Amino acid sequence: MAQEAESRLEGETLSLEQLQQIPIFKGCSEALLKKNLGAVVRRRFKPGEIICREGEFGSTAFYVLEGDAEVFLKTPVAHLEGKPRVRGLFGGITSFFQSMVRREEARARGGSIPIDAPMDLSLDRPEALLRGGDLFGEMTCMSFYPRSATVRARGEVVALEMLRNILDVLKRGSKEFKEQLERAYKERSLAAHLKAMPLFAGLTDDFIAGLRERVNLVSYDPGKVICKQGDDADRLYLIRIGFVKVSQESPGGEVILQYLHRGDYFGEMGLLGAGKRTATCTALDHVELVEIGQEDFTRMTREFPAIRAGLEEKARAHAAENARRLEHLAAISVDQFLEQGLMQAQSLLLIDLDRCTRCDECVRACAASHDGVTRLIRDGLRFDKYLVPTSCRSCHDPLCMVGCPVGSIRRTGTLEIVIEDWCIGCGLCARNCPYGNINMHGIGEEGAAGKEGKPEQKAITCDLCAGLKEPSCVYACPHDAAFRVDPKEFFARR
Amino acid sequence: MLIDRSHRKWIRGTVFATVVASILYAIYASHAPDGPRGGSWPGLGYGVAASLCIVFAALLAARKRRPHYRLGRAATWMRGHVWLGAVSLPLVLFHAGFSFGGTLTTVLMWIFVVVYVTGIAGLALQQFLPRVMTESLSQETVFEQLDHVREQLLVEAEQVTKGEGGAVARPKSAGRVQGRVVESRAAAAEEGPGRNTLVIFLDRQMRPYFAKDGVRRSRFSDPSARAALFEELRRAVDPALHPVTHDLEALCAQREQLEMQRRLHLWLHGWLLVHVPLSYALVLLAAVHAVMSLYYG
Repeated sequence: MAQEAESRLEGETLSLEQLQQIPIFKGCSEALLKKNLGAVVRRRFKPGEIICREGEFGSTAFYVLEGDAEVFLKTPVAHLEGKPRVRGLFGGITSFFQSMVRREEARARGGSIPIDAPMDLSLDRPEALLRGGDLFGEMTCMSFYPRSATVRARGEVVALEMLRNILDVLKRGSKEFKEQLERAYKERSLAAHLKAMPLFAGLTDDFIAGLRERVNLVSYDPGKVICKQGDDADRLYLIRIGFVKVSQESPGGEVILQYLHRGDYFGEMGLLGAGKRTATCTALDHVELVEIGQEDFTRMTREFPAIRAGLEEKARAHAAENARRLEHLAAISVDQFLEQGLMQAQSLLLIDLDRCTRCDECVRACAASHDGVTRLIRDGLRFDKYLVPTSCRSCHDPLCMVGCPVGSIRRTGTLEIVIEDWCIGCGLCARNCPYGNINMHGIGEEGAAGKEGKPEQKAITCDLCAGLKEPSCVYACPHDAAFRVDPKEFFARR
Repeated sequence: MLIDRSHRKWIRGTVFATVVASILYAIYASHAPDGPRGGSWPGLGYGVAASLCIVFAALLAARKRRPHYRLGRAATWMRGHVWLGAVSLPLVLFHAGFSFGGTLTTVLMWIFVVVYVTGIAGLALQQFLPRVMTESLSQETVFEQLDHVREQLLVEAEQVTKGEGGAVARPKSAGRVQGRVVESRAAAAEEGPGRNTLVIFLDRQMRPYFAKDGVRRSRFSDPSARAALFEELRRAVDPALHPVTHDLEALCAQREQLEMQRRLHLWLHGWLLVHVPLSYALVLLAAVHAVMSLYYG
């Protein structure tokens, strides 16, 4: 194992004695460290040297021993455009206001970019500083997700690069390492983490300072149940790392309600309601959570009535949406309907091929509505006389959302799945979509290489023309052949 | 656009407008001392009404250039295009008093007739061709991708013939589901006798059929001749290679579908090559006709 790791990691391999001299390894089992020698190396980076690049796959985490490193998004936080901008003064003014509106919308949905580091990045200026004692790349190391950001040495940087087995040894064996990480998180990140959520933005610094002393940081292995439907509700959880599946039991089996990631919270419905958990929450990968106890939660809702009102409103909306989904799934038949995954769809684009003249107005309208980049390809499998084109189905179980290293793909309050402008183009969501409905699209000139020599790209998917009464593909069909349906209701009539 | 029950209101409106215009024309024509003329007030009224219908019908092209603008559903515009276009014929005839007039108006009238007839032809084709395509083209793809898919089929035929493994797009038909799905195919375990015969068959017989204009010249275009050729091939190779011959035959059937799709697509859209440019000419000449008539009239 150690030999295999050695061959994979570049850098200065450390002896057992050298490792033991590093404070964070104090308390770790000597036998385990000995067994995993080679799974951690010391690396020295010159000023300006890239330590890791966003979007790349890896299996290691970095622990900064000395020096400062900048963490930033290289892929521009920008809206994907497939046609040239309107030039001139008018074009400049228009695009300025459009970008302002987009940023405001993104900010309203939650205005920070979650990354695989102790801090989040702000939307306006997606960069931050890592210092000695910071750990980054934990999700890549533990769950093999793509790197969420680019890290560059600001001055001379000395860092430990480690594989999962060493990180496990540290987390389980080194009290000092655990305490240091927890202290760093509570001091540097908890407040930012809470305030990044629009709902908790109104918390005062005093309240957060009190909370800092009392919250617990806990971790769960993949597949572990965090809380079970029907159990007593006694705490609120904030997700620091990883993905959590929220599901409910129904007569037909488990129904996935949501996937949550870093920056999301759960457990509030039980605390606000009857004191019982309304859903089961399970760790999908290595998950680390912040637990806020019932007492603190009660105090928060008492001292901040606006937060209570916001939580209650959200809880009501969630309950209504969950009930609708359960009802929807209760009466779904199987056969080929199941085979095509149509039962997964909440809003399915269908084209009646007996009416369709193959004029492609739907595709043109989609491109025109999305700055020249179409989200719809008029090709796919057929169900009877209906074509199910390549376009997002707004699945009940949105697998595409699992693993996004920067949390840029998400479901808003309604059906549509949106990909935010800070997508780093790693392509994980496109690979995760079982129906091939997420496409990767180059930024700027077609095929143009980015600064690193690789083409820069972003993921795109149908957003159901959010904000409009009817999606453009349906609105622009001159033959009444394209329509969005709830498949269960639609096919039940046929 | 498929004419169905959803058009009832438009049909009633068109019939009503035509009947009213006809009755008024009959009254006007029977009372006009010099017979019906375009320059008379009633004649001008018919001319203006016809022009408005034609202009609205022509605006569909502008509407399509901005498909995402919320200017009314495109289907409503199309219904207006069809039925206002239909009612423009009697209005034009009543305006002209069933006479073609001088050179400009005669040209204008012929262009109008051609636009009208091609429009009806297009509408008629749209009533059944989409259904024909749905029923006969289970492997239908995006029209612009036809050449690419054809080339892919040939690559696949080469892989199948050589016994290479890989991902292949297979036709799928199961119950109510139809289309293409990507499947993986394992590489042939070993070289069997007859593999070379397959390679020769591919190069000499099949490859020309997969060329861009290969369908016209190839014997594979005739399904019965094709079936006979594959039967002959099966007799010439080891039975272990028969599945390969079936795969090749299926690829030829897909190639045939691509060609059929190209033909049907051209039928479905070919009429627009006449209808659209002449519509622009019609609007332009109608404007010239109006200006000249009012100026010199």
